[in-house]
Amino acid sequence: MERAGLRAEQPEPLAAGGAAAPAGGRAEWVPLAIIYGLLAAGTIFVAAITPNFLSASNFEAILRNTALVGIVAVAMTPITLSGNFVSLGISQSAMAAMLGFIFLIREGWSQPIAVLAVLAGLVVIGIAQGFIVSAGLNPVLTTLAAGAIIFGIAAELTEGRVIRMGENRVGWGNDELLGIPLEVVWFAVVTIVVTLLITKTVIGRHTVLTGANRESAEISGISFRWVTIVAFVIFSVGLTIAGILNAGGFGQGEINSLSTLTIDSIAALLVGGVAIAGGEGSPLRSAGGALLIGVISNVMVLNDFSTGGRLAVQGGVVVIVVILLELLRRRRAVR
Amino acid sequence: MRRALSTPLALRLRGYVLPLVVLIAVWIYISATTETFRGDAAFFSVLEGFPLMGLVALGLAVTIIAGELDLSVGSMAAVAGAIAVRAADAGLVGAIVIAVAVGTLLGAIQGGLIAKIGINSLVFTIGTLILLRGVAWLLCGNAPLPLEDVTVSDPLLERYGIFSPASITALVVFVIFGLFLAYTRYGREIYAIGGARAEAAAAGVSRTRPLVLAFAISGGLASMAGALATMRGGSAAPENYADLLLAGAAAALLGGISLYGGRGTVLNVAFGVAILTAVTAGLAARGEPNSTVQLVTGVLLLLVIAVEFIASRVARRSTLASDAGNLGPSG
Repeated sequence: MERAGLRAEQPEPLAAGGAAAPAGGRAEWVPLAIIYGLLAAGTIFVAAITPNFLSASNFEAILRNTALVGIVAVAMTPITLSGNFVSLGISQSAMAAMLGFIFLIREGWSQPIAVLAVLAGLVVIGIAQGFIVSAGLNPVLTTLAAGAIIFGIAAELTEGRVIRMGENRVGWGNDELLGIPLEVVWFAVVTIVVTLLITKTVIGRHTVLTGANRESAEISGISFRWVTIVAFVIFSVGLTIAGILNAGGFGQGEINSLSTLTIDSIAALLVGGVAIAGGEGSPLRSAGGALLIGVISNVMVLNDFSTGGRLAVQGGVVVIVVILLELLRRRRAVR
Repeated sequence: MRRALSTPLALRLRGYVLPLVVLIAVWIYISATTETFRGDAAFFSVLEGFPLMGLVALGLAVTIIAGELDLSVGSMAAVAGAIAVRAADAGLVGAIVIAVAVGTLLGAIQGGLIAKIGINSLVFTIGTLILLRGVAWLLCGNAPLPLEDVTVSDPLLERYGIFSPASITALVVFVIFGLFLAYTRYGREIYAIGGARAEAAAAGVSRTRPLVLAFAISGGLASMAGALATMRGGSAAPENYADLLLAGAAAALLGGISLYGGRGTVLNVAFGVAILTAVTAGLAARGEPNSTVQLVTGVLLLLVIAVEFIASRVARRSTLASDAGNLGPSG
């Protein structure tokens, strides 16, 4: 733990003094305002130059495409806030939830039982990873390895074939609530719930404190293990929701389903300005990051950008935001 | 390294015993259970792991020794593959040199930004992982990009006994970087900032130069891996090499590179690559799909970081020395 660099709880010496800005304080509003300000300004700008952008159906498309990524990014925020970086096995876990649900439905399980079974499975996987990571193992490599293991097992079980729900297909796949698509409703619900968890509960405050300064958090009696495991449980619930929503929408899936989810949700979280070393950020900012990337992708689709162009712009935005936020943080630390 | 050179030979070799034992055990088991993994064929297939997984593992190892991690290696390899195909008019060697030069430059820029801004390398290289993947798509023109003149890459397809041009190239690179890391001042600086960054800074080692070097090496080597493999295959594809990070990291750590920075040598990487390639070759010989290879690699990666973690705990308990940079206790 005493070594620099890879360890989650060991911020760079320069940042150690000032990065511990209290969440929820005044400092929290500035980046939040920047993200949503950018979002608003960007939206107005592209609305002016892109035909069809302002149509209601296009807004619905943006929200739909953003929803799954947003759910995962928001649910991952406590992991990052607690100083455990990000998971590199997101796609695989969400895919496991999706295929697991499809399989159980096909086998004739009732929906609530199937949901609970998938949730239980994902939570167990999450707790296992949280336990390993909280013991002090590198979180990025642990989740990368876990993802590979989950992928391998899923491939083994499905033999690489497409899994379909068959005649038991669920009916709610494309439902709407008051005209809002189901996954968008869930995106809002997850954002609200995780925000409340972080700001209003003891464990949420402990999470932020642990990320800001693990040593003093532990001295004041906060258990790093408990914080980390709870963060991974929240993350697993988010993955389950995303996986099952996707299963309902498509009714079928295979091991390469959701394969872009890892990169997309990490991008959303980083663009949202959640400090990866922990202690700074909020679920609302991750949601903003997801929306910002959603709008950017949508504009590029409407303007006929290729896959490569979209990915390159997304990556460019992430790199620039990460650099700018780091510079901002350093200025604040120096002051 | 300075310390390692002044200690008795036995102590210096201690770090290689475990990987060597594992390698021999794995080798014996696989050749006993797999008919095609015997004699020259076994040596050939293990050596063939060095040009792709080996070079990536070596580059990753250098960043791990420096106390950082370059997550962008897979995307970098894909970019380099596309560049090499586009530059094929320069001839085989020319194309690979151009790709490696671009990768080294990109890596150096990454290292410079990480050092100057003080940004966490995991965050930054996740960003460049996404960015470079997009660049790879753009360079490929959003579709697989075949070599126009496939005869360009013919020399790569030759075979001399258990060697191929690609594996010879990779082995030469391993030797060069082994010497560089162990015997040059720049190499030792990389160990210094990884083993004990605060002490290194106090001793006057700037972190900029070693970080630029480490990331330039990892970018350059990932590019060489991608360029060699792509030219050999005759076609670049934008989604290639995404699994290389997992395999490269697993190989480096399996060989005994310490995840806590500052420890491990090129020889450790070589052992790790040999172990993982033998396992992979064994699985492939049985007709197991790539997903099983990933599964096994994932298990090995988890195991090895767990073992190292437990070993570091035990070591810490059995010593009073708290200096993180020490070669360590006898326990």
